[in-house]
Amino acid sequence: MATNVTVIGRTTRVRGRVSGDGDLQIEGLVIGEIVTSGNVTIDTHGIAGASVRGKRLVVRGAVQGDLLGEEAVVLEDGARVVGDVRAPRIAIAQGALMRGEVQTADDGPAAQPSARTHAAVKVAASPSPVRVASPPAKVPAASAVKPAPAPKSAPMATAAPARRPPPPVVPVLKKTKGQILKKKER
Amino acid sequence: MASTVIGAGIIIEGEITTDEDVVVLGTVRGKLSAKEAVTIQAGATVEADVAGGALAVAGTLTGNITAGDRVDLQAGARVVGNVKAARVTIADGAQFKGNVDMDV
Repeated sequence: MATNVTVIGRTTRVRGRVSGDGDLQIEGLVIGEIVTSGNVTIDTHGIAGASVRGKRLVVRGAVQGDLLGEEAVVLEDGARVVGDVRAPRIAIAQGALMRGEVQTADDGPAAQPSARTHAAVKVAASPSPVRVASPPAKVPAASAVKPAPAPKSAPMATAAPARRPPPPVVPVLKKTKGQILKKKER
Repeated sequence: MASTVIGAGIIIEGEITTDEDVVVLGTVRGKLSAKEAVTIQAGATVEADVAGGALAVAGTLTGNITAGDRVDLQAGARVVGNVKAARVTIADGAQFKGNVDMDV
């Protein structure tokens, strides 16, 4: 029974990579990547200093690194995790502390968040010149009927009219942004 | 009973330091330092310098051994390296190549 279970005891410190097949129970310190095809339990006194990959990960101790579970990741009471958590099923119990990104299911990994940020940057950049020119023309139009001014910029225009009411603030921000940019460019 | 067990199928590449007993059934590469008993069981592979209180080897070990108490190379063991301990036994059937230093 115990032949395929690896136990890193309370006073044991491992500096290096732990990999292979079989279950792991960590009650001590492992500074290094952990990759196994079996389950990994990081107990109350256990500390993992790098990423952990396994079938089912149960954490009651501390992890500084990403947690990747093939089946599930369970953060129980007392868990302290700094890193991203990814697994088809993730449970975070009351009393568990974590900082990082959580992603259930097996969607594309790190590519998605970066794509979102790029999209956000573009969205923020494109409407600003439009607003500078348009506010005086659109404010009356928005008060009358929505569909008329829409064609100028396709998806953003639908969201834009609703935001129109507080226009004075927007131009002020844009001026400062423009000045800052110009200064940086120079 | 042992508090630290390196299971069969597990590979540790790096340094292991502990104050408790260690049983190795898997693979260890690097360095293994323990204060208590270290048991390298049949089927285990250790490519590391090993230090411990009492060492029992039945598996494959490549590296130098230092024990505070004793070293037992059991039948089936395959050891290449130097052994330093106050008491050393080499069982019939153990393969060994290296120096023995018994602090004479």
